[in-house]
Amino acid sequence: MKYTLIIDKNAKEEIIAIVHAPSSLTEQIENLVCSFDGMDYIIGYQDDEMQKLTFEEIECVTIIKRKVIAIDTNGNQYRIPDRLRDLEAVLPSYFIRINKSTLANEHRILKFNTAFSGGVDAVFKCGYREYVSRRCFSEIKRRYEGI
Amino acid sequence: MKKTILEFIRRGLIACGFGPLVLVVLYLILQSQCDMHTVSVNEACIGIVSLSVLSFIAGGINVIYQIERLPLTAAIFIHGFVLYVFYLGTYILNGWLADGATPILVFTGVFTVGYPAIWAIIYSITRRNTAKLNEKLKMKQENAKKTSST
Repeated sequence: MKYTLIIDKNAKEEIIAIVHAPSSLTEQIENLVCSFDGMDYIIGYQDDEMQKLTFEEIECVTIIKRKVIAIDTNGNQYRIPDRLRDLEAVLPSYFIRINKSTLANEHRILKFNTAFSGGVDAVFKCGYREYVSRRCFSEIKRRYEGI
Repeated sequence: MKKTILEFIRRGLIACGFGPLVLVVLYLILQSQCDMHTVSVNEACIGIVSLSVLSFIAGGINVIYQIERLPLTAAIFIHGFVLYVFYLGTYILNGWLADGATPILVFTGVFTVGYPAIWAIIYSITRRNTAKLNEKLKMKQENAKKTSST
């Protein structure tokens, strides 16, 4: 099956799928499109200042000192009022869970690094590091199996 | 942390019931192999209590593998060390090791050779898996770039 993405800021946004018959894929696309409200950002707070953080500029969302924190491409940290579980539903599929308290932007992971202790860390392009749990490591491996 | 401790206790309590059963097997082996036919009340009590404690620890310590933050190797080392200490303690307490340093050294040797070997195997497997994952991550990122530029 062929996939084409056309980015044209002047055109009206619409998603057309050409298939031979309805399937679970078309159902998923329909649900996804119907539930998408056009939002591609979340609101973060830094020193009581509100900041609009687009998904692409977020490296990861993690829990630091029991607070949900988004880290941007410059390594700045913003407090997010939502729960991590709620954010997982809002964030696009390229945000992957790397441990029970971190969602990582797959596009912003520089590499996975094996620690001497035998654990694995995800190193982000901004330099931030976060451990990858064994369970999530296996899930990421499964996710990449088809590539 | 509290959850982990509670889970440790839960697993320990499930396992500790097997302690006296293990002791029964051990006494039967000692009877057939070492011609041991009588056990004093003291020996029996020490045996039952120490084996129950050992089973409690051996069962409970498995919880270490549930701690997500802890790397597998560290978990194995802690697990191994705790088992080593409690097994050795139980053996000494019950007089199942012959007198002298040699039996303890042999016991220690088996553990100290075995655990680095396990670590080396796990580290090399993790490194290989990470390298594979990095390749795929790179491919995925390149694909995403191509798609967005189409």
